Amino acid sequence: MKKDTSIEIRWHGRGGQGAVTSAELIALAAIHEGKFAQAFPSFGPERRGAPVLAFNRIDAENPIRIRSGVVKPDIVVVLDPGLVTLINVTDGLKPGGCLVVNSTRSVEDLQQEFSGDWKLAVVDAASIARELLGVNIVNTTMVGAMVKAAEVVKFESLKAPLNERFGARASSNFEACMRAYNSTVISQITTTGTKKSKSFPMEKIPGWRELLVGCIVTEPGNTKKFGTGDWKSQHPVWDDKKCIKCGICSLFCPEGCIQPNEEGYYRANLFYCKGCGMCAHECWTQAIKMVEGT
Amino acid sequence: MTSKRVGIESSLAVSEAVRLANVDVIAAYPITPQTHIVESLAEMVANGYLDAEYIPVESEHSAMSACLGSCAVGARTFTATASQGLILMHEVLLVAASLRLPIVMAVANRALSGPLNIWGDHSDAMITRDAGWIQIFIENGQQAFDQTLCAFRIAEHPDVLLPTVINIDGFHVSHVIEPVYILDQKSVDEFLPPYKYPHPLDPDDPITMGCFAAPNLYTEARKALDASVRASKKVILDTWKKYGDLTGRYYNPVEKYKADGAETILVTMGSYSENAMIAIDDLQDEGKKIGLVRLRLWRPFPYEEVQEALSAAQNVIVLDRAISLGGPAPVCSEIRAALYTLDKKPQVASVVGGLGGRDISPDNFKTLIDLAMQKLKAGETQEIIMFGVRE
Repeated sequence: MKKDTSIEIRWHGRGGQGAVTSAELIALAAIHEGKFAQAFPSFGPERRGAPVLAFNRIDAENPIRIRSGVVKPDIVVVLDPGLVTLINVTDGLKPGGCLVVNSTRSVEDLQQEFSGDWKLAVVDAASIARELLGVNIVNTTMVGAMVKAAEVVKFESLKAPLNERFGARASSNFEACMRAYNSTVISQITTTGTKKSKSFPMEKIPGWRELLVGCIVTEPGNTKKFGTGDWKSQHPVWDDKKCIKCGICSLFCPEGCIQPNEEGYYRANLFYCKGCGMCAHECWTQAIKMVEGT
Repeated sequence: MTSKRVGIESSLAVSEAVRLANVDVIAAYPITPQTHIVESLAEMVANGYLDAEYIPVESEHSAMSACLGSCAVGARTFTATASQGLILMHEVLLVAASLRLPIVMAVANRALSGPLNIWGDHSDAMITRDAGWIQIFIENGQQAFDQTLCAFRIAEHPDVLLPTVINIDGFHVSHVIEPVYILDQKSVDEFLPPYKYPHPLDPDDPITMGCFAAPNLYTEARKALDASVRASKKVILDTWKKYGDLTGRYYNPVEKYKADGAETILVTMGSYSENAMIAIDDLQDEGKKIGLVRLRLWRPFPYEEVQEALSAAQNVIVLDRAISLGGPAPVCSEIRAALYTLDKKPQVASVVGGLGGRDISPDNFKTLIDLAMQKLKAGETQEIIMFGVRE
């Protein structure tokens, strides 16, 4: 088998954060440089806020023929800080590989989460995006951080695809990208993480003999086992001093996960809350604030 | 067992079988040459002769969709269609199989457009080949009656639970009045146990049907369905044995006619088998060592029985009444595949004929066999012989 010359990247984001666009921009920049490249999403039924994946392959020498998913990436980019503790973002990351994370935490603090021979790059992409773009969409910002951490394409090569993709908004996105490029802090993970390693339970998938006739599901209401709480990057917090117990938040919650507690104050069940913020928007005494984190 | 010999159109014999099976729901849309089946059933329901729900729908797609629903609540369900109607059902046909709903359907086989043609051939059945339905072919009115009754027992058997189609050649069988023995109600009731779906839709005991399967489950779901289609042969054999014991009319997945010891075997499926028998009789009288093998069970495909029936022959001639444009003729393709693993393989000639109602008379069969024999002798078996085509 010929020596593998391609670099593989896995992007972790949430539906709506633009991970697919990040991968697209990198591929276009690489192709622009005359390299071979692929960008593709993980095809699935994900909705806004749900953890999603996007992938890149870049090869400076050879055409890329493989059509399978990336399972042993050289680089992992995490667009949403909450995902670090939610899913195994370093799954399959090659030794010597690079992990790029959007986080407000310091590189020293964050590296306690990981055990492996990896380079860790950290940038507070959310602050950059909010300041320069006015929204918490960090795709272009994280592209800058990734290119700084692992120079898979030249920074200048990003300009053309950004212009093409963003038109009038290209210059602010390019600025966010450059700010991230210049402020990314990189360190080698030298010690093993001190935090207890998390286990990520795998759902048991039945074999064909175990399926019921017609693949029916006999347990009614099992959707309640399907936590949608990991879709959120923000969660609602109630100020009970302002709350008049009107229940508007509960009424408007599209997930139906807001209920009154024993004292009659409302709370969201965070196992289901998708962090859409509709409760905060509808609350007319402004008793609800959306706070970062799951 | 008592039965009454009556002169009846084969379509109406099918309707009689459906009535005797005491179906609960019929959802259908009329289409030539199937119309007489559902017309007569509608009349029976309207006259109170059959206590069933007749759902007149606006299309075949809706007919099959209504059948899904009724079968899923545990109602014995029947429909009939043909040709364009069958292919309009197609999306739902595959769902019926994957949900394991034992709907019974009669198809009065007819050519597919285009050109528009209302006459008989097997194009419609062939395009439904991979839908996961059990598929049975018949040759005359009696078999249409018998197999319709058997279909309910096969489809609804707890080890099967698969939709089943009875393929009845349009016009050549569907519209022919002929003598048919109609079973009495008591015998049918004894032969056909009540339908009991293991997990019927019930508001008091809710289940989910037709749910989504991601790549990590779809393969298992398809494997389970394929395994159940293959395994259904055991119940099919058992049902036909029981029906034979009851009526004296025995059926088999592959049926031989004067084929033992024959050097050359003609393989047919459907009603032209009877024409072929007449030709075989004449040819054997002339001292020719030729026999006939009829394929009754099309899905699940009876590999072992085909091998057993054909392995001793030197030559096999397969007649298809359908064409796979740009590919091998469908029945012949399967026969060749079944023979491929044998150490000593017969030569196989592929003939396509009888398309869109074009007749193949017993005399035509003799010509067809002559033509195929010439090709076999010359070793020219790659090309399909398009029988009767004008140059």
